[in-house]
Amino acid sequence: MSSPVPVVEVEDLRVTLRRGQAEVEAVRGVSLTVGRGEIVGIVGESGSGKSVLGLSLMALLPAAARPVVTGRIRILGTDMVGTTATADRLVRKKHIGAVFQDPMTSLDPTMTIGNQLAEVTSNRREVVRLLTDVGIADPETRLGAFPHQLSGGLRQRVMIALSLARNPSLIIADEPTTALDVTVQAQILQLLLDLRESRGCSVVFVTHDLGVAAQICDRIAVMYQGRIVESGDVDTVLGRPEHDYTKGLLASRIDLTTPRDRPILSAHGAGSGDALPAVWPAVVPGAPAVTIADARRTFSTGPFWKRRQLEAVRGVTLEIGQGESMALVGESGCGKSTLLRLVAGLDTPTSGSVTVAGDTGPQMIFQDAGSSLTPWLTVGELLGERLSAAVPGIRKPEADRRIAETLERVGLPAEVSRVKGASLSGGQRQRVAIARAVIVPPTVLLCDEPTSALDVSLAATVLNLLGRLRRELGMSVLFVTHDLAAARIIADRIAVMNHGRIVELGDAETVCASPTNDYTAALLSAIPGRELRQSHAAEHGDHSEERRA
Amino acid sequence: MIMFVIRRIASMLAVLLALTIALFTLQELSGVDPARAYVGANASAEALERTRVQLGLDQPAIVRYFDYLGGLLHGDLQNSLRTRTPVADGLSTAFPATIELALWALGLALVLGSIFAVLTVVRWKGAGVVRVVLLSGASAPTFLLTMLGLLFFYGQLGLLPSGGRSSYGSTSPGPTGLFVLDGLLAGRVDVATDAIWHLILPAACVAISPAVAIGRVLVDGLRINLVSDHARTARAAGMPEGLVMLRHAVRNSLGATLSMIGIQAGLLLGGLVVVEKIVSWPGVGSYLDKSVQASDFPGIAGVALLLGVTYVVLNTLVDLLQVAADRRIALS
Repeated sequence: MSSPVPVVEVEDLRVTLRRGQAEVEAVRGVSLTVGRGEIVGIVGESGSGKSVLGLSLMALLPAAARPVVTGRIRILGTDMVGTTATADRLVRKKHIGAVFQDPMTSLDPTMTIGNQLAEVTSNRREVVRLLTDVGIADPETRLGAFPHQLSGGLRQRVMIALSLARNPSLIIADEPTTALDVTVQAQILQLLLDLRESRGCSVVFVTHDLGVAAQICDRIAVMYQGRIVESGDVDTVLGRPEHDYTKGLLASRIDLTTPRDRPILSAHGAGSGDALPAVWPAVVPGAPAVTIADARRTFSTGPFWKRRQLEAVRGVTLEIGQGESMALVGESGCGKSTLLRLVAGLDTPTSGSVTVAGDTGPQMIFQDAGSSLTPWLTVGELLGERLSAAVPGIRKPEADRRIAETLERVGLPAEVSRVKGASLSGGQRQRVAIARAVIVPPTVLLCDEPTSALDVSLAATVLNLLGRLRRELGMSVLFVTHDLAAARIIADRIAVMNHGRIVELGDAETVCASPTNDYTAALLSAIPGRELRQSHAAEHGDHSEERRA
Repeated sequence: MIMFVIRRIASMLAVLLALTIALFTLQELSGVDPARAYVGANASAEALERTRVQLGLDQPAIVRYFDYLGGLLHGDLQNSLRTRTPVADGLSTAFPATIELALWALGLALVLGSIFAVLTVVRWKGAGVVRVVLLSGASAPTFLLTMLGLLFFYGQLGLLPSGGRSSYGSTSPGPTGLFVLDGLLAGRVDVATDAIWHLILPAACVAISPAVAIGRVLVDGLRINLVSDHARTARAAGMPEGLVMLRHAVRNSLGATLSMIGIQAGLLLGGLVVVEKIVSWPGVGSYLDKSVQASDFPGIAGVALLLGVTYVVLNTLVDLLQVAADRRIALS
């Protein structure tokens, strides 16, 4: 697959962006080569510069950030640094296709997909052929559809069709599967592999997920603080990592072999600030804290003359004991969030009942902690608001004491109480959201995908934090997620939901190790990075032995 | 899609029907006796009674409403108490005059608003000057602006006419009653240019405030869409910046902008009534002014109905255009 001119040549690339008043050096001297037909993964956490590198390759850095780029980028021998906008545009047009994270927003919402594809192709037949190539059945009927009428997976297929339209030599895919369900993710990864096979195009695959990278990439470059700290063959980098950062990434990655009886190991100090036990104390569930009895929730849609019934939850019976942690696992549209809203008391069941024990109502933690914090309130005010609502007439010194105590409990410095959410990092914001939920310890803590927007190391620390808090405060936890690996860590029992029903319920380890339901098995097999899991498991074995010794 | 258009038109008709009911009820409640107004204060009780029967006023209200409605469908807006002639005749020249002025004003508002928006978004250096001029124009009341414009362009410079609609008499040379269009259709370029000279000042004064409102909404939309993910997709596909603006930014900004255009068009119609008086424009505003002074209820009701119909039709049109710009609306 080698060729005299590499598809991508990057030499000592430096990119400086303006964020607010400050100048940030997002990429600090990166060199990279991508050969013809090669899939190269750029792996790193948020802020590592991986997306900036991806956008630089297309000369598509946001103008508002006034990017300053030095070094050299060549796409098939054509320079992309220090050239005119028109020249860059022609290179994009001729050689590059782009696939972005969120196909919903990346496609024009007011245009049919047929029209959007027609913008980059010559004729209708070509459009149909492209849609067939990306595995869309019955493409003719899809041409008139708008993006919002398609499922997430179909939308991403359209996005890929768009990127393939001019038969590019290079596809730059920036987190193309992050917004997708795990089974759909598996299909899209397979599609990219197939397309590489049939068209011979190279792919630069930007991702934070080591498992995904392991599944699709030939080579991997690990980015940290704007630099490539380690790169090479996928098996070498992930199997025998040399750099501490890579080792840390691998260690904080959760999969189906991560030990559940102890906090997740994070090698690069991500767990600092949290005093964690070596092994979790066992939890013995008490009397039922949440009782769901044959709950159903039906939504009516459409105009009154052709009213349709949408059954989101179709008869769920479930009991969560005091102190027990239950994970509700399923894909988009399975009804898990509706069920969570029923337990939170934000919605009432159409029939059946949902009972929550205790005086303090359930508290909730959301996926996007940033938008769940009121932007003009300081952290102290946010926590105080919750406190005075639950404990009327609480005095200021007492409130301040409890705020400080809670911040310490979630591993945040006391000064945080004086700042606003916007000036905190994503991980800190999620800690604030957790602090708000537990400042008055609720009987039941509801978590709606609290880790899926976080980097692996942050997700690990949040899972550790939740594991500690629930044991300290004796809370029951209902944890909604699409990620079985995270569910297995956080939960004592797992309930798998599909089409509004619970299809499998059991001990977390048992459900993951020997699922009895086909759907559960499908979810499990779609988790990416199985090769990684094997080599990783060996490593983990070593760790456990060291610990025991 | 077709269902959506049918539904919109049906709801438009329902609103219009409600408007006629409202106008009829107001007329009933106004306390003006049309028969008395018709025969005069000194007529005998006999003559009054005869006129009453003749005008159908002895019938119950519901019958008279349907008579009124039936009349409307045939273009009968009742007789004016002031001129003793059908209101429809009086409005048949006044309405096109107003419509012509309104169309020019709206057109000008759209052009000025779009220029303002695009210049602002592409960060053209002189955009600030354009903004200051438009904003100061928009912050002055329209009638004051028109008077000042008249004093300057007619009084000082003698550039523009003092008022009126045309130097060629009040009859349009063509079928539509719109002087510029009719002038061009009849090959009378002189009539058309003369009409434009008469239109410029009032149209511009009325247009400024809507132009700023429409421009601002468009700026917001363009700004958001130009940095959107779908614009990035278009750029990644190698689309030139002009096309990205046109196909992906302008189109996605149209929804909110069209809403604003609908609102502003309604306000503009109301504002015209005052401005017509200042520039002696022979439109419905002037007609309304005379009718109000003479307590001529049918005249007032006729103008209200006509302006109401225009407003409702305009808004239906905006709704349909919105669907054309974003077909998702019809799908939901």
